[in-house]
Amino acid sequence: MLKYFVETTEALLIAGILIGMMTGFARSAYGKKGRLPADIGVWLGVIGAVVMAYLKNATRLIDTSLWNLRIFLTCIGALLLFWICAAAAHKEKKVMPVLAGSFLGVISAGLLIHAVPDVISNPYIILMTEKSVLSTAFMLKTIGIIFGILLTVLLGLAIGSAMLRLRRGQAMLLLSLALGFCGLRLAANCIRIMQTKRIITPDMSIYHFCFRIIKFTSNHDKIFIFAILAAAACIPVLLLLRSFHITEPYRNNAERRKLLKKLKVNRRWAAAAVLCMLLSLVNITWFKSIVTRAVDLAPIEECKISGHDMVVPFEQVEDGHLHRFAYTTEDNVQIRFIIIKKPNSSSYGIGLDACDICGETGYYEKDGQVVCKLCDVVMNINTIGFKGGCNPIVIPYTIENGSIVVPVDGLLDHKKEFQ
Amino acid sequence: MNKKLIGVSILAATALTFVGCGSGSSTASTADAGSSAAASSSQAEESGEAESSEESAEETDAEVKTENAADGVDGGFTEYPIFEDEEAGFLNVSAVYFQPVPMSGGNENIEDFNIHLEADVSALENKLGFGVGDWVPYMTVDYKVVASSGDTAAEGSFMVMSASDGPHYGANIKLPNADTYSIEFTFHSPEDNGYLLHTDAETGPGGSFDDYFKDGPIVVKYEGWDYAPQEW
Repeated sequence: MLKYFVETTEALLIAGILIGMMTGFARSAYGKKGRLPADIGVWLGVIGAVVMAYLKNATRLIDTSLWNLRIFLTCIGALLLFWICAAAAHKEKKVMPVLAGSFLGVISAGLLIHAVPDVISNPYIILMTEKSVLSTAFMLKTIGIIFGILLTVLLGLAIGSAMLRLRRGQAMLLLSLALGFCGLRLAANCIRIMQTKRIITPDMSIYHFCFRIIKFTSNHDKIFIFAILAAAACIPVLLLLRSFHITEPYRNNAERRKLLKKLKVNRRWAAAAVLCMLLSLVNITWFKSIVTRAVDLAPIEECKISGHDMVVPFEQVEDGHLHRFAYTTEDNVQIRFIIIKKPNSSSYGIGLDACDICGETGYYEKDGQVVCKLCDVVMNINTIGFKGGCNPIVIPYTIENGSIVVPVDGLLDHKKEFQ
Repeated sequence: MNKKLIGVSILAATALTFVGCGSGSSTASTADAGSSAAASSSQAEESGEAESSEESAEETDAEVKTENAADGVDGGFTEYPIFEDEEAGFLNVSAVYFQPVPMSGGNENIEDFNIHLEADVSALENKLGFGVGDWVPYMTVDYKVVASSGDTAAEGSFMVMSASDGPHYGANIKLPNADTYSIEFTFHSPEDNGYLLHTDAETGPGGSFDDYFKDGPIVVKYEGWDYAPQEW
């Protein structure tokens, strides 16, 4: 569940923040004239995202990279036009605000059409492995996705409401900063797609320069996310700073109470925005480090070596958990093998801690299942001991006097797997 | 009302731009490719040590192409070439990558992978009974992807599978960082996996696997793969 919470938040975070900022700004700066096209853009974006999710998963019509390129270029174009219209809107107050709001709507639609399809397709992807919507794992993963969507929607709403309450100059500055970082990120992504699609080819003089940009921006994508978060974080901070004292004039106590109430509401929206932002930040940093943490293999257990055999008594491995043993050769090569008692059975699954496909990366136990550390394939415990697929490599063994006896020679035959 | 019309018109125009912009498909975005720093080598190794190596700095003519399905199969997907038509021993080897794909046999989970890496292997002239251009079965194919720092970014053995364009050796792999990688494929003899040849003069193909693998596995190495992860 946590993994999907993190992934969904990460996928929607930028869109959530920027759409909140844009709709809030359009409403405060241009009133109904700007708000309406901006809101229409958001709804069109949601509809477009649903259509895109369907086309991506149910048809072969969509080349995602090419569509992303179109979306990013359109967003960059709309961003530049927004800045022009926003500058002109100071003098021309009839058409320019509508145009500015419309271009913000175009950017919102683009961000949603890019970010949302993968999120709403996730249950479909999960079903490929979980097989049933009634399984606990499917439900938990879907709940993680829903929490992620809720968090980013709340964040967008809180930022939009806080933005609405800022001074126009401050709001424009912060929106321009955030959109500028977003524009840079989109431009870098465009170059990346053009390199992959061979639109930028190695025989072009700009190729190496472009690939340096691609390498840096691709490997440091978080910089853009944190920059946009930082710009957005200034909104509640500025709002909080001016929400403790009444600066507007009032004529009587009734007006004063009204202003105090307004400041209280401002503080609440600022606090909500800060809270959502902090949770998002924790989500994409700390939580992410938890869900992406490399799995450590359980330690190797001791067992008796009798002559040329390794002897493991049943009592040592009959708890149904995965047990790992190893024989260390004279030249210090550790040949590992695993033993697990099969569920609802008195037999044992025994094999090397390696498979033909993934080599000696080993297996770990998670939620009662045995999982390959390299490819994450969940083993059917009942088939451990049989050859094939990502199953542990089969080794010879015998059962003698209540113990599993693994001949060392059988292990040595697989020494090269562990070298 | 006019102002609303302007707004709606802009959004409609943008939607049309989405559809129109870059409507030349990916097949149109082709060019002479391969990295300028590309160098490829094919070599036979004995006990892990290279015995012969022929290096060429030639650029690979590779193009982003949409793979046609086998006859009668509704298919088609975009492959991104790494290198094409490297000849080593009796093998013609190409490497491509595309989106991670779910596979049967418990390999349906594609969530944590970045690409599906694939070695397309076909036979050249040989005395093993394979027709020229035939896929060569029963090999164990190891892959190794090395970053520019020298660290191994991914390694393992390919699985054998069929896609709509036919059988191949491939695997979903994690490769999250953009870099200029070198990639190495090691082809073990089909005989190691129990593939047999007729040895009589009347029905045998006339050769043996030792003719091609006497110095050990066949290794194909390519340097200068400029790779950046992408959204699929």
